Amino acid sequence: MSPTQYIDPRGPRFAAGITTVVLAVVLITGWWPLLAAQAVVFAAGAFAGLRYSPYSTLYRAVVAPRLGPPADREDPAPPRFAQGVGFAFAVVGTVGYATGLTVLGIVATGLALLAAFLNAAFGYCLGCEMYPLVRRFVVRSGENTA
Amino acid sequence: MTGLVITLVIFAVGTAIGLVLRARDGSIRLTRPGSVRSSAAADLPAPVMRAIDPESRITLVQLSSAACAPCRQAHARLSAAAEHSPEVHHAAIDITERPDVGSALGVLRTPTTVAYDSTGTEVLRVTGVPDTDSLVHALRPHLSPATEP
Repeated sequence: MSPTQYIDPRGPRFAAGITTVVLAVVLITGWWPLLAAQAVVFAAGAFAGLRYSPYSTLYRAVVAPRLGPPADREDPAPPRFAQGVGFAFAVVGTVGYATGLTVLGIVATGLALLAAFLNAAFGYCLGCEMYPLVRRFVVRSGENTA
Repeated sequence: MTGLVITLVIFAVGTAIGLVLRARDGSIRLTRPGSVRSSAAADLPAPVMRAIDPESRITLVQLSSAACAPCRQAHARLSAAAEHSPEVHHAAIDITERPDVGSALGVLRTPTTVAYDSTGTEVLRVTGVPDTDSLVHALRPHLSPATEP
């Protein structure tokens, strides 16, 4: 495994801002192809790596040069994990809207919007907070089966 | 229309949650004597038992996770506090490596710092990056008066 490249924490927060707007538009319009597109964005960040997320590319190209160097850097693992959580919700939401289970679509999109909003507005990353929790479950179930 | 209402409700709920989290960040909660958490020093997980320094009046056990920026900030402040006060010992446990410790102590967020006295009785806990001054102030009843500057 390559050594961890620490990232500018403002990148994920900027991405959360765009995600908030996108998810709000999805909720208001119920236009699920936009949610599907957001799922692809989440997937890029979660599975290929944060730097491959289009929002992250936009941040590096347009926003970061205007901001100057970050005061602190963070481990990309939790925000990357959070993108994975976002991906799961976006997929469930898309399936919900597309198959007529609109309530499912609304609930999944709403929860994802709540998480994105908390990140954008308060810098509180719900998915990142879940990272140690989920690892705890993974380790515990691993112990049980061992 | 429904979607718009739901969106506005989510923004309102999100703002409320965000404000509560912000207010709680770094807040100190005293552990009531006789509460479940304060009683059973013998039930503490082994890494915590090892971390507690019986020679120090207070051990600050900081629970961190491998990937958490505020944990590093908390670590710097707590080690400075421990350096400042010879009766305070600071130890860190990574709950990514020892998730069982996190669940045994009921810690859901990192950084969380739990203060123990020399017998392993929980005194207080702090969620988030602690404010050193208020932490030292809250610990004062457990420290001997002479060492205070």
